[in-house]
Amino acid sequence: MKNPKKSWRRLSVAILIAALVLPDALFAADEIKIGVLFPLTGGAASAGRELRAGAELAADIANSVMPDLNMTMAKNAGIKSLGGAKITLIFKDHEGNPTLGADLAKKLILDDKVDGLMGAYHSSVTKAVSAVAEQYGIPLINDSSTSPELTRQGYKWFWRSTPHDDYFTKDLFELLKGMTEGKVKGVSAVPKKDIANLASACEKTEWGSAVSELIDNFSKAYGFEVKKSILYANKATDLSSEVRSLMAVKPDAMLFASYGSDAILMLKTLKDQKAAPKILWGQNAGFEVPEFVNSLGDTTIGVLTRTVFIPKVGQVKPIAAKVNAMYKVKTGNDLSGASARSFTGLQAWVHVLEKAGSLKPADIQKAANSIEIPGDELVVPWQGIKFATTGDDIGQNTLGSGLIGQYQKGADGKIDLEIIYPLNLATANMIYPFPKF
Amino acid sequence: MDILVGSLVAGILLGLVLALVALGLTIIFGVMDIVNFAHGEFLMIGMYTGLLTAQATGMDPLFTLPVAAVIGFLLGVLCYNGFVKFLLRGPMIAQLLGTFGLMLALRNLALLFFGSEDRSLQHGLLVGQSFDIGMGIIVSATKLAVAVLAVVSFIGVWLLMNRTKIGKALTATALNRQGARYMGIPTERMNALAWGIGGGTVTVAGALIVNFWSVNPYVGLTFTMIAFTVVALGGFGSVPGAFFAGLVVGLIMEIPGFWDFFAITFNLAWMSNVPMTSFKYTWIYVSYFVIMLISPRGLFGWKQ
Repeated sequence: MKNPKKSWRRLSVAILIAALVLPDALFAADEIKIGVLFPLTGGAASAGRELRAGAELAADIANSVMPDLNMTMAKNAGIKSLGGAKITLIFKDHEGNPTLGADLAKKLILDDKVDGLMGAYHSSVTKAVSAVAEQYGIPLINDSSTSPELTRQGYKWFWRSTPHDDYFTKDLFELLKGMTEGKVKGVSAVPKKDIANLASACEKTEWGSAVSELIDNFSKAYGFEVKKSILYANKATDLSSEVRSLMAVKPDAMLFASYGSDAILMLKTLKDQKAAPKILWGQNAGFEVPEFVNSLGDTTIGVLTRTVFIPKVGQVKPIAAKVNAMYKVKTGNDLSGASARSFTGLQAWVHVLEKAGSLKPADIQKAANSIEIPGDELVVPWQGIKFATTGDDIGQNTLGSGLIGQYQKGADGKIDLEIIYPLNLATANMIYPFPKF
Repeated sequence: MDILVGSLVAGILLGLVLALVALGLTIIFGVMDIVNFAHGEFLMIGMYTGLLTAQATGMDPLFTLPVAAVIGFLLGVLCYNGFVKFLLRGPMIAQLLGTFGLMLALRNLALLFFGSEDRSLQHGLLVGQSFDIGMGIIVSATKLAVAVLAVVSFIGVWLLMNRTKIGKALTATALNRQGARYMGIPTERMNALAWGIGGGTVTVAGALIVNFWSVNPYVGLTFTMIAFTVVALGGFGSVPGAFFAGLVVGLIMEIPGFWDFFAITFNLAWMSNVPMTSFKYTWIYVSYFVIMLISPRGLFGWKQ
């Protein structure tokens, strides 16, 4: 008889391999895996938590039937065109580190065999992850990164649902222009020379440096002057010399692009040094996380921030109010720009999968390039989602738009964002000039 | 003008704090010739101690200093007796790698227990308060208090080292180990004491710093590098050296401020466009390099 030990070994290896491979083969049809990369720890962790919760809520709605929610994805449990297959989200924490993000993306593609990717908030990480997705031909929908560069790489496996900073920074200058023309609610026309001097401080990765450049370009186009523009490290523990540098040029408006912990530190330092700008604006991100208002309290009153979603949008969009209520039950917070966009990103995935009717990357690609989601399906106040297939910004949603909100104290004593821009949607008078610290 | 004075004041206040941070390092080196890579991590532990004690007991952060001092002292002695003592038997490289390993261990233990998120003090007698000392120069109350306490600590340590029996014993051990032993000084205990004092001073510095800097497990490294520069400049082992070198390094960190002053006074647009604040820390390392080249013994150096 041949060596019995060898036969046993061969048999057990065969069983082991079968045990590992079969489940995938058996259950493949019932489960759609989407790898989601977010900063769940580190300086942007509070945004990461919101992003995760937004995506999870959308997946819950997609995977079940909710008759009283007027959304296509709430009508079926799972993806109808795939036999009711449910979406499983596999979350990975990139900690804000692009190299780690790229590694995790590879793992998701090769080990977890995901059908698609979503993420990653930090534009620097999304850049690295998009290169990996492009290399392996796996579709990536970017829900939350706004550096314009990302859709200018000519990638075929990259789509972005959120509008990018070109749109958003233009909004800021339209607001400033509106102020000089007396079109802003609650503010009589401001002479241009009163707000002509700008100073900006942006964190120095892909996102912040892109914003800094955009501010420079737009200010030239609109006739403002950037007297000082600083790039700083978002992990810095001390920003006092940066703030002193900004204050030295005595700017009328201070503009920031900061992530979570640095936005809070920046405001604290500005308060410590008694900075007195007439306008203080942040390009979303750190200026919108729950921690911002929670740790700074009244200091935030008067701060403007670009945003994509404010709870007040629920007043004009009932579907937003409904989803916001669900989100509040889940996390205790209102939907914010981050969570609303991760929700919308996953919603875009659901529509793309429905249209594709298959998990083959090429089919998903085709579906993404031809999809059109109407605005009333969305919680965000956009005209809809339609990804460009020609022009400069391939893969960019051309129907998105931004808002500018200002932190104000409501009648109930709570600090909330009021819509200041678009000018015709304003929900409150703008506080101008910025109240003294 | 106000920019210049503002930067000077900021530089000096920061410098005093840095001097206190470096004090522990110079004492340990002076007594034992050991380079403590984990120095920044002790600082980080001091910061967490101050923060957590204040949050847990509700007392003002400034009063947590004694707690930080005690914990720092015990931690220093523990590290010595449990670990560093054995390193001394090995070659120099073992000591370097050993304290490097200690640094990694402490950092990751902190990461395990405290998580990676930034934490900072929200409430305190001095948190968020500032004085206007004229010319529109704002001095943050916490930084001022920290600077004053740093000076007090320095004077205290200097008196300890030079006027008390134990301090003199420490100094003797530093100058000549063999000789000290002949005189009956228990050098083993002196080593532990040096680590205790070194650890204690730096945790107190940490508990002071947390009043205006937020803490996460990774802040140690930046401070270790700055402390090394201060000690190198002032002379390894010299207490007054650490004081003056600290001031100098604090002013070096304010170079962007001085640059701004010149840019604005002489209205030079090209100067304004140079991203000086991005290179804030570069100047420190450049000076470290220059000091090593020109005078490795430092300003007051009395140890080779």
